[in-house]
Amino acid sequence: MQNISLYVNKKSFVHDVDFLTKLIYIFVFIAIPIISGSVIIGLLAILISLILHTCAGVLKKLIPIVALSLFVLLSVIIVQAAFIPGYHIVFFSLGPVHFYQEGLIHASLIIVRFLDILLVSSLTVLTTRPSDIVETLQRKGLSHRMGYVINSIFQIIPQMVSSMKTISDAQRSRGMETEGNLFVRVKAFLPLIGPVVISSLVGTRERAMALEARAFSADAKRTYFHEEMKYRYKTPVRIILLLLLVVSIIWRVL
Amino acid sequence: MKKNRSLWMVKLNTASIALIPAAVAINYIGKLFAETLKLPLWLDSIGTIFAGILGGPILGALSGLINNVIYGLTVSPASAVYGIASIAIGVASGLLAYYGMVGKLWKVIIFGVIVAFVSSIVSVPLNYIYYGGQTGNVWGDAAFAFLNAHHVNIILSSFIDNISVDAPDKIVSSIVAFAVFSVLPKRLITLFDNSQETTTLD
Repeated sequence: MQNISLYVNKKSFVHDVDFLTKLIYIFVFIAIPIISGSVIIGLLAILISLILHTCAGVLKKLIPIVALSLFVLLSVIIVQAAFIPGYHIVFFSLGPVHFYQEGLIHASLIIVRFLDILLVSSLTVLTTRPSDIVETLQRKGLSHRMGYVINSIFQIIPQMVSSMKTISDAQRSRGMETEGNLFVRVKAFLPLIGPVVISSLVGTRERAMALEARAFSADAKRTYFHEEMKYRYKTPVRIILLLLLVVSIIWRVL
Repeated sequence: MKKNRSLWMVKLNTASIALIPAAVAINYIGKLFAETLKLPLWLDSIGTIFAGILGGPILGALSGLINNVIYGLTVSPASAVYGIASIAIGVASGLLAYYGMVGKLWKVIIFGVIVAFVSSIVSVPLNYIYYGGQTGNVWGDAAFAFLNAHHVNIILSSFIDNISVDAPDKIVSSIVAFAVFSVLPKRLITLFDNSQETTTLD
């Protein structure tokens, strides 16, 4: 069965860091460039995140994630630099379209901030197993019901994707057209998704019964299957991160 | 929809909890089908709308939230923040279904427009923080550039950028969600109705 999560199963010092410390890293590395308001600090944060990606061996998986937003970023450059009124200094021209310097500076600010958020959150997602995230949150008080929901989705989606292939083939063998003009394709959507959705909803009833048969809504205290993972350098790493944040706030105020 | 069912019931029964993964998976499958059929829509909120209709605003909100958590873990980590917009979609569809915007096609179309309106209101500040007000959709951004060049307020043009993409998407999603809802067996629907005492499992 295919694995839908982005997690890359490798061994590295980044993988060893516990989820809560990574959350602090996300917060600090997003907050610092915004607080400082400087493009250079933003680029520095991006560079550090890139180095960490390389160390963790997940750089290859990062490429499709960034590629997904390339189009938006391109569109940001074009619209911000050429179509916002009130700018004067022309940086360069492409035919009748003028690209303004102020617009390009504004666009670069947006792009650096966006890439920073993207890289920081990608690093955490690429190096933390989803079930570990759920377990950490459960130990911190997330209800076991929500934990079940998140874990089960990673099993249900691949199941539904495979039943989706079966249904597509079945409908095609009955002569349904899935290619052609827009109207033909829109018409094909309902007969394709309908059976998948209804079968999954009928399955919901079965799943609820199976859960109840195993005392899902019982109030007793729950135990864990795995022992809690301890990260050795948790305290020093967290202190360094928070110090960075404090320094950037002080630097900004002064 | 029966009026006597409690609208803001927070405690969810096991059947409702089991519906959330199905709703998220429906979102995922909808997006996948839209891509394989090369439709110019996302269709990735059918499950959230459906959960809102079937289980009320709280269940809709939860489905929307968890949908984007999963989206963040599987496709694009930075987009998980748009979960706020998904929550709004779930709450809006729960409320609209409760107050009777169901049954006829014209009602469902209005339902879709209102859901798109609500989700745009929430998305605009996020678009502004992330991309300076754009959505990344060719037609929407063309409208954004046109309005900006004609000195229209940036927030208004960002809103029009968003809703021009969102409205068709949410109308089609709502129609699909209601089409499925209308053919579901009654014993399945009563399972999620938390005013019923006889059909609960727990």
